[in-house]
Amino acid sequence: MSHAGYIDPNVLIQTEGLKVYFVRGGFLAEKQITKAVDGVSIKINKGEVMALVGESGSGKTTLGRAMIGLQKPTEGKIIYNRDSSPVVITPKTKIIKHIRRELQMVYQDPYSSIDPYMKVYDALSMPLKYSKIKDKEYINKKIEEVLNMVGLPLDLINNYVFQLSGGQRQRLSIARALSLDPKFLVADEPVTMLDASLKGEIVDLLKKINKQTGITILFITHELPIAKIVANRISVMYKGKIVESGRAQTVLKDPLHPYTKVLLEAYPKINPESKDTIKTINVKESKIDTSKIQGCPFYDRCPFATQKCLEKMPDIKSMSSDHEVACWLY
Amino acid sequence: MPILSVKDFSIHFYTPKGVRKAVDKVNLDLNKKEVIGIAGESGSGKSTLAMGIMRLITPPGKIVGGKVLFNNEDILSYDEDKFNKEIRWKKISMIFQGSMNGFTPVFKIGQQIEEVLEVHEYKGNFKERVNELLKMVELDPSVSDKYPHELSGGMRQRAFIAMALALNPEILICDEPTTALDVITQAKIINLLKTLKKELGLSIIFITHDLALLSEISDRLYIMYAGSIMESGYSLDLYKNPKHPYTQLLMDSIADINKDYIKGIPGFMPDLANLPKGCRFSDRCPYAMEICKQKEPELKRIEGDRYVSCWLY
Repeated sequence: MSHAGYIDPNVLIQTEGLKVYFVRGGFLAEKQITKAVDGVSIKINKGEVMALVGESGSGKTTLGRAMIGLQKPTEGKIIYNRDSSPVVITPKTKIIKHIRRELQMVYQDPYSSIDPYMKVYDALSMPLKYSKIKDKEYINKKIEEVLNMVGLPLDLINNYVFQLSGGQRQRLSIARALSLDPKFLVADEPVTMLDASLKGEIVDLLKKINKQTGITILFITHELPIAKIVANRISVMYKGKIVESGRAQTVLKDPLHPYTKVLLEAYPKINPESKDTIKTINVKESKIDTSKIQGCPFYDRCPFATQKCLEKMPDIKSMSSDHEVACWLY
Repeated sequence: MPILSVKDFSIHFYTPKGVRKAVDKVNLDLNKKEVIGIAGESGSGKSTLAMGIMRLITPPGKIVGGKVLFNNEDILSYDEDKFNKEIRWKKISMIFQGSMNGFTPVFKIGQQIEEVLEVHEYKGNFKERVNELLKMVELDPSVSDKYPHELSGGMRQRAFIAMALALNPEILICDEPTTALDVITQAKIINLLKTLKKELGLSIIFITHDLALLSEISDRLYIMYAGSIMESGYSLDLYKNPKHPYTQLLMDSIADINKDYIKGIPGFMPDLANLPKGCRFSDRCPYAMEICKQKEPELKRIEGDRYVSCWLY
């Protein structure tokens, strides 16, 4: 564990120049490097919901996993501001078991993230047992508490997981993550697999839990409209890099990065007066291989691209009190 | 006269747990050069309906009743051979949700489109037709010499649309064609479908759970729930003033970039093998009355082109 240096007391978790590379081949085959996360520095404040938005393959999940220590970083560090004694995770960090409890995750697919042949009680008590909590009374009290929190009836505890519906399973998955009183929760596309009629319930539930317990949430999603509803702040990720971040309202009302702008334009909007709400999208399909580029990963699709964009990745610049963008236009 | 008219169409699945009525006496009309949207949650039977029109239902599923009229002729009564020769792909073709993964990885795109032409006995130059088709979907002709894995998801979906259009069909059924694509690609595919509709005079049945997306492309809408049509009408009207409680709740559950909230619909869809006696939405409906639990309402016209199946009207 290295020294953390100065850290803003309002920040719960932050990354500095975080890189996660996946290397394939290299002995006989050609070495292929996938830069899933490529120099990301973000800060998540205590008690807020930050949405991480990006298309599939942009590295959102890898970033989320790295932030809670499930994925070893290649370079850079993660600073977790634990009760005013920061914990630093670097590529050399080996033991993070002591903070594991405080950093939890909810997965995308409620059908495969919980063993269907487990009873609800076992699914919920397992994480507590693994954390060496043996007090039976405490376990029972905790299970009751988290079930209440996620709005599942208590008499479900003797049911098997396969007897639950998709929405109930996702609630259970949230309950399980909460049972260890985490400070930070990574919710990885928690509503993507659910039906339209259930999405609202789960989104509301996460918002309610955030308000009630003050837990900090990183909400990973590819749906901007969901991000708008759930988050205080939004970070937009594109090919392993954060291209824009800031207050949710500001980013959506006044997007700065060309990618964010295109993304917003591409969303169909319900407008009872007109059918044509999608404007002509003037970006090309991406052809570049991110592992080989020096500059901005969006340059080959960007309508404003210049030679500079090809040569150098722009630093993330602060545009107003809480709005940052990484683009040479600004 | 509508180009395609589906009358009292029913498809049942004979499972060990009972007969599941996936499509239960559905009526719908598709006019020439029109786009109709079919919306509903998963499990509402929208895809089964489309597969039924194409006659692609396999056991334990079975088409048990109704008519499918194409230009006033019942194509459901055709035998399989005649249907294959005259209707499938020639008059009505279809693109699927995962159709960009529907290409064989070991053959070039051009070869695969040519195969469709060959099977359906296309008269004319195959190579020219392939180039023409690729141009239609705004792909470079060089794509025909590429293998599927060399193309991105969006390009493969375009190539599949080209293949669906190979024999100049009059009707194109799109079953969640953009669900697996990212938003930017989705926007481009939607714009392409709009152009194709104009240029080729296609009639389109567009199936999706994404009402926001349907508002973009459809002229008329059908809202489907548990195998049955709950409401239909002109889409702009329907978005402005949804009548059926299910439609209202469904509209509220859609995340739209201009909205600040989404709401869920409490409860679950009923078991299709064991439908409630009355209205199939009654146990989730906030306005359910005594009659709703007793008797199933019929789809009736309440104004203009608006049909609602609900005891409130």
